Amino acid sequence: MCVTRAGKAVSVSNGRARVEFFDGMALDDVDVSVVGAKKGEFVEVFGNLALSVLSTADARARKRAWREVRKAAGVQATGVAGS
Amino acid sequence: MKESGVLFHAKHAFMPNLLGYCGPDERGRIQRGLEEGKSGEDLVNALQKFEAAYPFLKLIAKSTRRDVFDYSVPEAYWIGNGLLGKVSGPDFYAFSHHDLKGRDSRVLKDLFRKLDGAAPPHHSFYVMSTYATSAVPDGPSLSNESAKKVGELVDNCRISWGRVKRVQKGELQVESRPIVVEDGRLELAPLKLKTVRYNRDVRPFGAVSPGDVVSLHWDYACDILTSRQLGNISRYTAADLALVNRFLSFKAGERGEG
Repeated sequence: MCVTRAGKAVSVSNGRARVEFFDGMALDDVDVSVVGAKKGEFVEVFGNLALSVLSTADARARKRAWREVRKAAGVQATGVAGS
Repeated sequence: MKESGVLFHAKHAFMPNLLGYCGPDERGRIQRGLEEGKSGEDLVNALQKFEAAYPFLKLIAKSTRRDVFDYSVPEAYWIGNGLLGKVSGPDFYAFSHHDLKGRDSRVLKDLFRKLDGAAPPHHSFYVMSTYATSAVPDGPSLSNESAKKVGELVDNCRISWGRVKRVQKGELQVESRPIVVEDGRLELAPLKLKTVRYNRDVRPFGAVSPGDVVSLHWDYACDILTSRQLGNISRYTAADLALVNRFLSFKAGERGEG
């Protein structure tokens, strides 16, 4: 099943983005056209479609949640600058 | 019963994992397990690493005092059966807040409150409600192109079903009713032909034939459904749609569109 994942759009071209997720995964072809995300913004992705642009505060909260999950699994969360 | 439950679960989890949308990077193991038709330790370990699907199975199993991979448990989750009604609203609410990673707890609270705790731990409900609770502009403000994309996402992500019309090498032509977004609501569109992939080496697809009804996930035929399962997936999907559209109506009302 698909899970909702949050991450950073590290490059955007023609409505498609490479998104690096806080869970350590990345997808190269995320459709960000519905929410109009720009390079550097944080997005919430379901399947291959971005459904929300996250505020930095929300992104930090998501990252914190993932950090806890990944800490339990012995790896580091990636992502939000300044947090 | 456990072996068939593992395989049933793996069949439905396989394609989104292959696409990189969920679960661990274990697609080789899952495909091998499916083709061998054996629920070995490797396959079970891979399935236990799915961030959402496995916790859902654990919830249903715990509430119904069954083994996680008892066939009826993944069947409830992916297709729908009577076990869904045995998971209490408060248990599902607590699970959604504590065990589902990546969901915004404020949004979940709003969803459960507006639906009076009627949310079922059914995969299609999870998918539809993810769209409904997202920040995607909806209602009349969603452009036709965006509505089409969102509809395709929901339709691909849920478990749908289709009647096989034609069997080809590696592909089936099936007739199914896609979910579409219309005026901010999710609706089942009229029957439409489409081509999906299948793996002839995964049982029982070596014997698939026109007239069979197959479950579908991301344009991949997961399994051949029994008539009981067809009745269940139709009924539970209709119930999911009704609940999610009720929630969308509340949201539209809050925006002053109702």
